[in-house]
Amino acid sequence: MAQRGGAQRPSGGGQGKICQFKLVLLGESAVGKSSLVLRFVKGQFHEYQESTIGAAFLTQTVCLDDTTVKFEIWDTAGQERYHSLAPMYYRGAQAAIVVYDITNQDTFGRAKTWVKELQRQASPNIVIALAGNKADLANKRMVEYEEAQTYAEENSLLFMETSAKTAMNVNDIFLAIAKKLPKSDNNARSCWMLQVITFKTGETM
Amino acid sequence: MDAGLSEDELVARAREERATIASRYRLGREEGAVIDSWEDPELEIYHTTDRYGFIHDGRLPQSRTKEESKQLDLEISRLPKWLKMIKSWDKYWGKEKFIKRVYKGIPDRVRGIVWARLLFLDQMKEEQKGKYEEMRRLGCKWSTDVRQIDLDVNRTYRDHMMFRKRYDVKQQQLFHILVAYSMYNQEVGYCQGMSQIAALLLMYLNEEDAFWALSALMASPKYAMHGFFIPGFPKLLRYQQHHDKILEKFLPKLKKHLERNCIDSGLYTLKWFFQCFLDRVPFPLTLRLWDVFLLEGERLLLAFAYTALKLHRRQIARLDMDQILDYLQKKLEKNFGYEDDYVIESLEKAMEELRKAKLDHPGAPPDHELPQQPFGMFTEPSVEKESGVRRDFTEEERLITERLMKRTETIALNGSHLSVDRGQSPLYSANALRLNLCPSSSPSFFSLASSPHCPSLSCHSSFSPSLRCAGKQNSIAVSHAPSLHHLSPPCHSIIHPSPLSPPPYALACSPPCLTVSPPSSLSSHSSPSLSTPPSPAHTFHAASMLRVPHCSSPFSSPVSPPLCSSPTFYKVSPSSSSKVPPPIGHSVFSFPTPISPFSSSVTASQDVSVVFVLWL
Ligand SMILES: Nc1nc2c(ncn2[C@@H]2O[C@H](COP(=O)(O)OP(=O)(O)O)[C@@H](O)[C@H]2O)c(=O)[nH]1
Ligand SMILES: [Mg+2]
Repeated sequence: MAQRGGAQRPSGGGQGKICQFKLVLLGESAVGKSSLVLRFVKGQFHEYQESTIGAAFLTQTVCLDDTTVKFEIWDTAGQERYHSLAPMYYRGAQAAIVVYDITNQDTFGRAKTWVKELQRQASPNIVIALAGNKADLANKRMVEYEEAQTYAEENSLLFMETSAKTAMNVNDIFLAIAKKLPKSDNNARSCWMLQVITFKTGETM
Repeated sequence: MDAGLSEDELVARAREERATIASRYRLGREEGAVIDSWEDPELEIYHTTDRYGFIHDGRLPQSRTKEESKQLDLEISRLPKWLKMIKSWDKYWGKEKFIKRVYKGIPDRVRGIVWARLLFLDQMKEEQKGKYEEMRRLGCKWSTDVRQIDLDVNRTYRDHMMFRKRYDVKQQQLFHILVAYSMYNQEVGYCQGMSQIAALLLMYLNEEDAFWALSALMASPKYAMHGFFIPGFPKLLRYQQHHDKILEKFLPKLKKHLERNCIDSGLYTLKWFFQCFLDRVPFPLTLRLWDVFLLEGERLLLAFAYTALKLHRRQIARLDMDQILDYLQKKLEKNFGYEDDYVIESLEKAMEELRKAKLDHPGAPPDHELPQQPFGMFTEPSVEKESGVRRDFTEEERLITERLMKRTETIALNGSHLSVDRGQSPLYSANALRLNLCPSSSPSFFSLASSPHCPSLSCHSSFSPSLRCAGKQNSIAVSHAPSLHHLSPPCHSIIHPSPLSPPPYALACSPPCLTVSPPSSLSSHSSPSLSTPPSPAHTFHAASMLRVPHCSSPFSSPVSPPLCSSPTFYKVSPSSSSKVPPPIGHSVFSFPTPISPFSSSVTASQDVSVVFVLWL
């Protein structure tokens, strides 16, 4: 294996493993998807986070014991119109965070439809987390913690209430996902690689 | 959505919400206005405003103002010429001198006037007197997009003086333009992305003019943004395909590099095309591009997409997937790296280049990209629309989604092709292959589903950063590979899970043309034990690639593979059943017939693709 060019090797090696996971954020517009990502990736919060057109891509790495987990994050646009692009982003994702806004009951309803869609259409083993965001606005709460938690349990979702504004539970939810994602260990060799080679007529190998 | 509410209640609630939102914008910042503290910016003193009205941190480098003042002087010196041209517009408009001057940049002070002329706003207003008022009124009452527009006005250019204060005059205007437009053109309604365009127009035009400017951008055949924003985004796909064509012809190396890093142009062109590079290049350059856009129309989009990549191709060539996306999303906006004048000159050259190659324009739009209904007709929204219940995809949307994904997969597949490097390593037989592996961050194009025999196993489909297996079982899932069916020639796939033998496993797809046999040097080779990683020779050797002790398919009607106790070599052949590619979601596994194990090489009798699955 050493022949293979270390630089390109995505995982393995003696000093701890590196795992990469694709994670997608879904949820109604303005629930705080982009803000959660910004908080997680840059530790910042913008009161006037610009709206996401199409999707945005960011990465962040976290360490778990001896494993380095790199998240490749797709932050999607929330408007229904962009729903038709969503499969492009959640397809192949190993994890998803479905976000709603605890001050808005409708966004919770929309979160449930996203969960349903993921369960039907995404990778079968996708790890789904439900995030009740804007937890700092508890005085305007419209979705009860228990209601969401019960729903999450019934659907085996990770669940946390978060606040991108105060940073509450933001790193935690990503870490919880990282923990739940199956990581390679030496027995179950778990990294795959696909490669296509084309032979032109007459070529021999 | 809410189980508790009937449709009527939902509609009633939506109407009430609309009325509340609209009344807030009517009221603006007058006394009695309800403005949550979090919605309003505190006036921070460490801010400075640039000449375009954007507010920055006070720590901006001073050199910027130098450049700025140079630009300012230049603009002032050009102003008299422009005033003259504006005065006798008909004499200059469309003439070479005029066009040249637009390319040099319209001085900011007359930009609004010139934009208005370029878009024929006076005519539009004249032809439809009172229409804007009417649409605004109806929109506030009926537009089902009020809610989304409100959310977006609240986060559109809040770092610009004009849009900083909640419900302030320009926010009111922005809201009203968008609401009116969503009524005026109900096929587009409101789509995220339009608010920034409208805001830009408002920086240079008054409210009503900005409305008609938006309308011209959408509906005039010269700009035809309608096709971008309608459900399913049909024009986006067409433009992306054309963009790919341009890259193929003029920047093939860069295109390969992007593909190798699994970057489909869909990932970066959406915002470029939808908003004509707003927020993707520095604002002053954006304005210069918009000058040309309004002059030349939609071809600017393709030409500048090409120019941007061309100018940065060397830098991009050194970057991998994350970095490329960051570069295109963020870096270029912060600093484009070239002076604006140079960029525009390059753009002109690129346009010429494309024109000569007849690639400057993708041709007339298909009917479905064009407005189908007359504008400005009032119809009450359907209950479904008004209550906000999620609807299913339209046939059009479904189609577009499918095509988009197919595209992505095909590109990923092409990318993989290209990363193969036929090396001459002595470790391998003379003409063996050295694989130049895609980093695992690359999307794969396969949906590897879990096999019923191996339920704990999971692999992932396209865009999977790393394919992985959760189970300990040493067998692997079967490719579902819908993408392969879109390729030409159609490929069929088999996979080689093997409980006994070590990696690699291979998946081969092909027309019936690969004759496989172990080269003599390895013909008596036995499987290395599981604990040793496969040597390159094993890994890439045709013989081990094509060993198929056992196969299973998780799909409905798998062809049962022969179960073998000892390694056997197979010929890869397509499904006997038909030449028609199977529908997406169903794979045809063509199971091989054994061939003589002792001939010594593999020769392709026609073009063939082999897909390898390798353990890492
Ligand atoms: N109070 C509060 N506001 C938030 C929080 N997260 C996001 N927001 C605000 O909600 C608005 C929408 O956020 P954004 O991240 O753009 O939502 P997205 O459309 O889901 O990406 C912005 O004005 C944010 O500042 C949060 O945790 N608390
Ligand atoms: Mg967002």
